[in-house]
Amino acid sequence: MPTPTPAPRKPTEADSSSDRLRSFARYSGIGIQMLATIGLSTWAGYWLDGHFQTKTPWFTVALMLLGLFAALYNVIRSVTKDQ
Amino acid sequence: MKRLLIALFCILSLPVFAQEHGSAAAEGAKTEEFRPGDMILHHIGDSHEWHWFSTDNDHFTTYLPVIAFRPGKGVSVFSSRNLAEGKVYDGLKLEHEKLEAEDGGKVYDFSITKNVASLMLSAAILLLVFTAVARGYAKRGTGAPRGIQSFFEPLIVFIRDEVAKKSIGPKYERYMPYLLTVFFFIWFNNLLGLLPGAANLTGNIAVTLTMAVITLLVTLFSSNKNYWHHIFATPGVPKALLPIMIPVEVIGIFVKPFSLMVRLFANITAGHIVILSFISLIFIFKSVAVSPVSIAFGLFINMLELLVAILQAYIFTLLTAMYIGGAVEEHHDADYQMGGGDGADNAHAAH
Repeated sequence: MPTPTPAPRKPTEADSSSDRLRSFARYSGIGIQMLATIGLSTWAGYWLDGHFQTKTPWFTVALMLLGLFAALYNVIRSVTKDQ
Repeated sequence: MKRLLIALFCILSLPVFAQEHGSAAAEGAKTEEFRPGDMILHHIGDSHEWHWFSTDNDHFTTYLPVIAFRPGKGVSVFSSRNLAEGKVYDGLKLEHEKLEAEDGGKVYDFSITKNVASLMLSAAILLLVFTAVARGYAKRGTGAPRGIQSFFEPLIVFIRDEVAKKSIGPKYERYMPYLLTVFFFIWFNNLLGLLPGAANLTGNIAVTLTMAVITLLVTLFSSNKNYWHHIFATPGVPKALLPIMIPVEVIGIFVKPFSLMVRLFANITAGHIVILSFISLIFIFKSVAVSPVSIAFGLFINMLELLVAILQAYIFTLLTAMYIGGAVEEHHDADYQMGGGDGADNAHAAH
């Protein structure tokens, strides 16, 4: 038989569920941010290659790698910050 | 409760019938062949007239004003009825919902399109609802809320306590108006977008872009010197690495609002596309037998969209608050700010 929840426990439960929602929002944000970093920088490199008519797509390569690095760096920084 | 669920079921399966039957009929009349891709893109896109639904004989459409500015010719204002079905009016025509001049000249389109009309409508609804809420507080002060006020108070308190206080810290009060506006604007428009025949406003990238740019500007204008210090001289990073780290940090400034823009746009648009795809199955298979399955799935996704509507509003608000919080935090709060709670409060109290 389920017993009614004791009154003092309620706030902690509410807190943990809102914290869970909060972490969900935060980490999904980090994921999309990672995707956006790589995507945006690759697109910028691609555009620059088209603009300067380069024979070898150096801009794409360089900016893609920079984007990858930036994405990883930002992910690592934002998950270690609050620990 | 049961009756409420049945009512909800009826309302939510309405868009399914109203939109799809109509557009399929309209599509069928024009091209014979049903093209789900075109139909879906037409439904999630903006348009110069507000098409509600069609029957076999008639279209039910509200024609909205077209406002065009052409350098040298000035402003012309007329009803979009004049441009319906590819007609040419005043030297202007619609090419796939893009206003073009016949002579190929430049046209600046300031029309009240479906999305603009929907935006005005939702602004009016928001004003009505929240002036009523504000009146309640003016009249009753901190007493027990009543009526519509009692529905919105928990949400407002949630945004204040769980989003603003935890993410921004002691300076949260200045940002409450913006955070509440963003939250309720997105939520209301997400819900309005689920109504039959409504516009897909928050699934329009121009709208989410505008909100993301405002968030970026609020973040930049409220930033303190710690924020810029972290970007241009990240603590703990050797001087030699700074030429690499500065671009990385600068990318970070712009990627944050960019991800806000893409997330809201993608979530809402994807939801609409999934629902419409399920409904399209009926017309692809040309069979009534498919309809129970596709309507059941469409309805399921529609219910899910009700959740997504408030979840996306919450996520946009929370991340906006976090970005602002990152810009206004004092140096010592760095270790505490994201988690919030007791640690952050003590930290703020101590310094």
